[in-house]
Amino acid sequence: MDTIIYIIIQLGVVLLIAPLINGVIKKVKALSQKRKGAPLLQMYFDLYKLMKKSSVVSDVSSWIYKATPYIVFGTAIAAALLVPVSTTILSSISIPGDFIMLVSIFALGRFFMMAAALDTASTFGGMGSSREAMISSLIEPSMMVSLFAIGIIAQTTSLPLIMLKVQTMAFPLVHPVYMMVGLALLIIIIAETARIPVDDPSTHLELTMVHEAMILEYSGRHLALMEYAASVKQLVLITLFVNILMPHDQWIGAGIAAIGLSLLIYLFKVIFMALVIAVFEVNTVKFKLFSIPNLAALAFILAFLGILQFFILGGNHV
Amino acid sequence: MSFNLSAYAVLFLQLSLMLYLLGAATALIAMFKREQKAANGLVNLFCIAASVLTAVASVSIILNRTGKLIIFDWQSVLPFINLQISIDNLSALFLLALSVLVFCVSIYSISYIDHYRGKRNIGLFYLLYVLFIVTMFLVLTASNAVIFYMSWEAMSLLSYFLVVFETEKEENQKAGTLYIVMTHLATALLLVGIAIIYNYTQSFEIMNTSTAGAIPTAAKNAAFLLFLVGFGTKAGVIPFHIWLPYAHPAAPSNVSALMSGIMIKTAIYGLIRFVLCLLGIENTWWGVLILVLGIISAVLGVAYALMEHNIKRLLAFHSVENIGIILIGLGVSYIALAQHNAMIGGFALIAALLHTVNHALFKGGLFLGAGAIQYAVHTKDIEKLGGLLKRMPVTGLLILCFSLAISAIVPFNGFISEWLTFQSLFANIVPGQIGLNFLSIVAVAALALTGALAAACFVKLFSISFLGLPRSEEASSASEVPKTMTAGMAVLAVICFGIGLFPMIIIRILDPVVVSLGGGSIFGQLQGGFIMAYYPLTVQAGSISPIALLLALGGIFLLTLGVLRIVGGKYVERKYGTWDCGFDALNARMQYTATGFSKPIKIVFRILFRPTRKTLLEGDSFYYPDSIEYTTTVASIFEDYLYHPVIKLFERFSKRTKFRIQTGSIHSYLLYIFVAVLVLMLYNRFA
Repeated sequence: MDTIIYIIIQLGVVLLIAPLINGVIKKVKALSQKRKGAPLLQMYFDLYKLMKKSSVVSDVSSWIYKATPYIVFGTAIAAALLVPVSTTILSSISIPGDFIMLVSIFALGRFFMMAAALDTASTFGGMGSSREAMISSLIEPSMMVSLFAIGIIAQTTSLPLIMLKVQTMAFPLVHPVYMMVGLALLIIIIAETARIPVDDPSTHLELTMVHEAMILEYSGRHLALMEYAASVKQLVLITLFVNILMPHDQWIGAGIAAIGLSLLIYLFKVIFMALVIAVFEVNTVKFKLFSIPNLAALAFILAFLGILQFFILGGNHV
Repeated sequence: MSFNLSAYAVLFLQLSLMLYLLGAATALIAMFKREQKAANGLVNLFCIAASVLTAVASVSIILNRTGKLIIFDWQSVLPFINLQISIDNLSALFLLALSVLVFCVSIYSISYIDHYRGKRNIGLFYLLYVLFIVTMFLVLTASNAVIFYMSWEAMSLLSYFLVVFETEKEENQKAGTLYIVMTHLATALLLVGIAIIYNYTQSFEIMNTSTAGAIPTAAKNAAFLLFLVGFGTKAGVIPFHIWLPYAHPAAPSNVSALMSGIMIKTAIYGLIRFVLCLLGIENTWWGVLILVLGIISAVLGVAYALMEHNIKRLLAFHSVENIGIILIGLGVSYIALAQHNAMIGGFALIAALLHTVNHALFKGGLFLGAGAIQYAVHTKDIEKLGGLLKRMPVTGLLILCFSLAISAIVPFNGFISEWLTFQSLFANIVPGQIGLNFLSIVAVAALALTGALAAACFVKLFSISFLGLPRSEEASSASEVPKTMTAGMAVLAVICFGIGLFPMIIIRILDPVVVSLGGGSIFGQLQGGFIMAYYPLTVQAGSISPIALLLALGGIFLLTLGVLRIVGGKYVERKYGTWDCGFDALNARMQYTATGFSKPIKIVFRILFRPTRKTLLEGDSFYYPDSIEYTTTVASIFEDYLYHPVIKLFERFSKRTKFRIQTGSIHSYLLYIFVAVLVLMLYNRFA
């Protein structure tokens, strides 16, 4: 029974907060440009409106096109089930799975998203799909190696267990291994969530877009699902980052109040990360497509150096 | 159903061998008849029955841990030629994979062969086909090296005949020649390896392995290298893979499925049988070498596959990739076994064996799917396909399943074996071995890169062929293939999905095999306990439960539908053309092509592909040419930089000898003979 309650808490928190992160990032960007910007909750309004609209479906497309939004949304939620928002209390919520499965779940969603983009016979879709194929195949090794680095220290591949393990450390972010891996993860989050400098989420200019090009043909509730899924995926990656590198549950006891407090702190951490991403996005320009390999290589090298440092420093006293 | 059939197992195997031979005899008779329709059904029926018997016998032997059973024994008066075939756990596992694949391919072949009706002698085809299966059966059950070697040769020759079955095509002849040369070079090495072992043990037995101690270390190392190259060539390990992308596309698709699905796995069987069982793992560097070759094969195999637009060549390169993944598992296992770590060794061996089985399933299925496309559209070129999902819905769905499986995506079987490989690499990282740890991390990165590139490649394969608008006349008028063809593929797809959802069943079968090879028992270490997980796969370092994931996905789907219905109201859909920028004439040529799709990756990895392009404009104006011809090529590095120089060297050498030594003068030849005789006489006198 507890498990079901925890799952509801987990999903509720993720689903509620996810669009807010986009709102925060957009607000910061607007403020930096001396604009007032859209309200913080704009994405909720958008999603609500999109859900009520009718869908336009390309007459070229097949069932893949219509199934994809559900699969992408489903995989995003399933990924959210693997990454607990609050560890000590909610560690038992996740479905049995680890970070290797997490990567594979993302791959499932991505596979269908790329296929659906090609399904409409639109050139934009193909372009986005082709670029996504390149970016994801460059980023995936870095992601796996970074997660492996963290996993090796915690001696497990299970994310809740890793999160429990890091709570025994004073402040992981200042540890040399985590510092490197953290930087790598930051780059990975930015690449995976289609943010500047890898992708520009705010334009619909065919020369620059990747993720938006893939979902260009979608409308109505399909589009709502795709957008929602993207924001949930972003939150899952941010959760992964904050709960591994900035654990907080070790200072909180047990009980209902503690759960509430823990979730509140979690919310602050996530918003803090949203600010970091926003500042990062404001202060950089979009790379041209063929500079992305350099960024991916940087992430890979950081993660690799992280692991090497772990070996050199010795494994047992981390 | 209980599997306590081991008393009958030998009988079953003898029967199935007999059925195969009966099939061969039927095909032989049909060869000389004009009407071959009845033979087609009969031969396939024999094969199906035989494969069912073999599968049942294999499973019961493994589950009952029967040990070695002699299927057939014939002691000849000639020395060494004792035809003894027998089965132990390892053989049984590979026989199981063989028979599952033969079962499906035979169902598929019933209609697929219509392709050749009237054009080819179908009796001849089936004769070769059945004998090919029989020789693979013998390779996997031979209990002495002589029989193993003879079956191996027969297997290579029969597959050669099948590769060049459509003899009039020049590319097939070339492919066949390359194949037969490479495979014979490799077989020669195997012969030397077997000879080395015989020299020290005085025995050709390969299923009883107690004599390994008699072989000195240096000889073991030499034999290992010979086996590695010999079997590696058959398996398609880079850099010995060059025959594979030519030979697999040339053969008929049901044969490609067998060749890629199981024939190249006999090499993995050989690597385990001869290296692990016969020589015994002594040195860590054996495993390291296999691991490095595996990493190279996996990454380069998938990279080359991405650049291919001929479906069957693309799939052939994916065989190279998957053999690489298998070798990564095998390498880790040999490393661990060399360090007397039976648990990790067993775990990695399970990963390698499971991937072997998985690859037989999904690659067999993909080749059958490629055959179905060829059957319906008459082309192997992806660029000429498109929009097939509406015309061939079942084939499309099945190929989608296989694509997801081979890309290691949950919840399909490819993910399970790749997860196990990742976990064994994870477990293999222990403090104090910087070099090995470093290698393990490289392998992790390589495996992740391979998975991502494979996904990209199969998005390309599936989407360009089955989605969007048809790119050619044939593609737009294609229709679904006959039911038996889709049925053959469907069985494979269901097994792929089944293994993906309930990995414990297959691990239960693999576990005794690994234990019999000296690995630790994994099954006892597994622990379950999650509510939603009926078959969780739980091993110390992490746990996954694909079935829980599937249930979660299903639940999320229903919830989403419900919420959308409540919040958004009724679903209203409007069909409209794809947005074409107001151009109002969307056509198939505006779609992304397979070349365009893989172009960014080609540019990123240009150091590997060394692409060239040529644009040919015709017409007066640069901006409005009459026609544009655009060709792009990708260099084949190993052929260009490794094989061609060596071949050139040989050519130059033989040219020189032709003029200097083989002068054509009878006098000099007499002189050679005289010198040779003299030298021999002197040698006999003084030696």
